[in-house]
Amino acid sequence: MDKLLNPDFGVMALTVVNFLLLVWLLHKFAWKSLIGALEKREQQIENDKAAAAKARQEAQQIKVELDAQLQHITAEAAKKMQEAVALGNAQKEQLLEQTQQQAQRLLEQAKAQIEAEKNKALADVRDQVVSTALLAAAKITGQQMNQASAEKTVDEVLREVKNAGSARA
Amino acid sequence: MEVSETIAHHILDHDFGVMLGTVHLPITAHTLTMFGISLVLLFVCILMSRTGKSLFMRLMHTLGEEYVAFMRDGIVVPGMGVEGKQFLSYFCTLFLFILFSNLAGLIPQMKTITSNIAVTGALALCSGALIVYCGIKFHGGWGFVKTFVPGGTPWWLVPLIFPLEVISLIIRVCVLAIRLFANMLSGHMVLLSLLLIIFIIGQMSKIAGVGSAVPAMGLEIFMTLLELLVAFLQAYVFTLLTSIYAGLVIHSH
Repeated sequence: MDKLLNPDFGVMALTVVNFLLLVWLLHKFAWKSLIGALEKREQQIENDKAAAAKARQEAQQIKVELDAQLQHITAEAAKKMQEAVALGNAQKEQLLEQTQQQAQRLLEQAKAQIEAEKNKALADVRDQVVSTALLAAAKITGQQMNQASAEKTVDEVLREVKNAGSARA
Repeated sequence: MEVSETIAHHILDHDFGVMLGTVHLPITAHTLTMFGISLVLLFVCILMSRTGKSLFMRLMHTLGEEYVAFMRDGIVVPGMGVEGKQFLSYFCTLFLFILFSNLAGLIPQMKTITSNIAVTGALALCSGALIVYCGIKFHGGWGFVKTFVPGGTPWWLVPLIFPLEVISLIIRVCVLAIRLFANMLSGHMVLLSLLLIIFIIGQMSKIAGVGSAVPAMGLEIFMTLLELLVAFLQAYVFTLLTSIYAGLVIHSH
C-alpha cells in the first residue's frame, strides 16, 4: 500500500508530456475552430441585436413622425370639416332665400293671373248680364234699349253690387 | 491473499517492464489507459470541431460549441477574467482529460488513472506551471515575485510573508493533486471493499455469502452512481480551482 503514495516519476513525466501534447493537438485541431465558430456566432448575434436595436429606434422615430403627421392631418380635417359645415350652412341659407323669393314670385304671378281671370270672368258675366237684361227689358217694356244705355245701366248695377260686397267684407 | 493486498492489486499500477536499451520506459497499465483516453479524446474533439450536414455531425458540433461556451463563461472568465480566454484550450482539454480519466475506471479492464498520484501530480504540475506562467506574463518576472508580498505589508514582515505566500502557492498546487487522487482512490477502494465483503462472508458461510450479495450489490450500484457524480464533480473542481488560482495571480494587488 505504500506504493500508493510514492509517485512514479517516469509515469509523471510521461503524463506531463502526453497531456501537454494533447493540449497542443486539441488546440490546433479542435478547440481553435470551435472557439472561432462560437465567437463568430456570438458576433453574428451581437450584430443582429445591434441591427434590431437600430431598426427599433428607426421605427420609433417613424412612429413619432407619423403621430405628428396624424395629429396635423386630424387638425386639418377638423378645420376643413368646420369650413364645409359653414359653407353648407351658407348655401342652405342662400337656397332657402332663393326658394322663398321664387315662391313669393310664383305666388304673386298666381295672384295676378287669378286677378286677370277674375276680371275676365267678371267681364264675361257683365256681357252676359247686359244681354240678358236687354232681352228681359225688351220683353217687359216692349221696346228696344240701345246698347249704350243698357251697358251704362249694367255698369251702375255692377258697381253697386261691388260696393255692397266691399262694404259687407 | 489478504484483503488489503487484493485491493492494492486492483488499484496499483502495473509496470510491464519495457526497456529501451538500458533505459526503463514507464509503460504501465495506467499509461496505456492514458494513451487510450488521449486517442479517444482526440477523436471525439476533432469530430466535434468538424461541421457536416448530417444530424449527428450537427449535434456533435453544437455539443462542442456548448461545451466551449460553458468552459469559457462558467469556469475561465469567472475565475481569471477576460485575460483567461487565451488559455481556454488548456482548460477545455484539462476538464475532459480528467473526466475521461475518472470515468475510465468504470469500464471493465480499464484503470482509473486519476487514482495514481503520479498522474494527478503531473496534472497539478501543469496547472502550477500555468499559474506561474500567468504571473510572469501579466506582471513580468519581478512583478510576479512582488505579488507574493501583499501591498501595505510592513517591511519587517516581508521576510515572513514572502516564504509563506510561496509555500501557499505550492500547497495549493499540491492540494489539487491530492484532492483528485484521494477522491478517486477512495471511491474505488469502497467499490472493491463492497465486492470483497461478499467473498469474505462467503469464506465463513456459503449461504451467508450468497445472502450478503444482494445488499452488497445494491450498495455497489449506489456507489457506482456516486462515483459517476464524483467523476464529474472532481473534474469540475480541479479545473475551477486552477482557473481561480491563476486568476488570483493575474489580479493580485
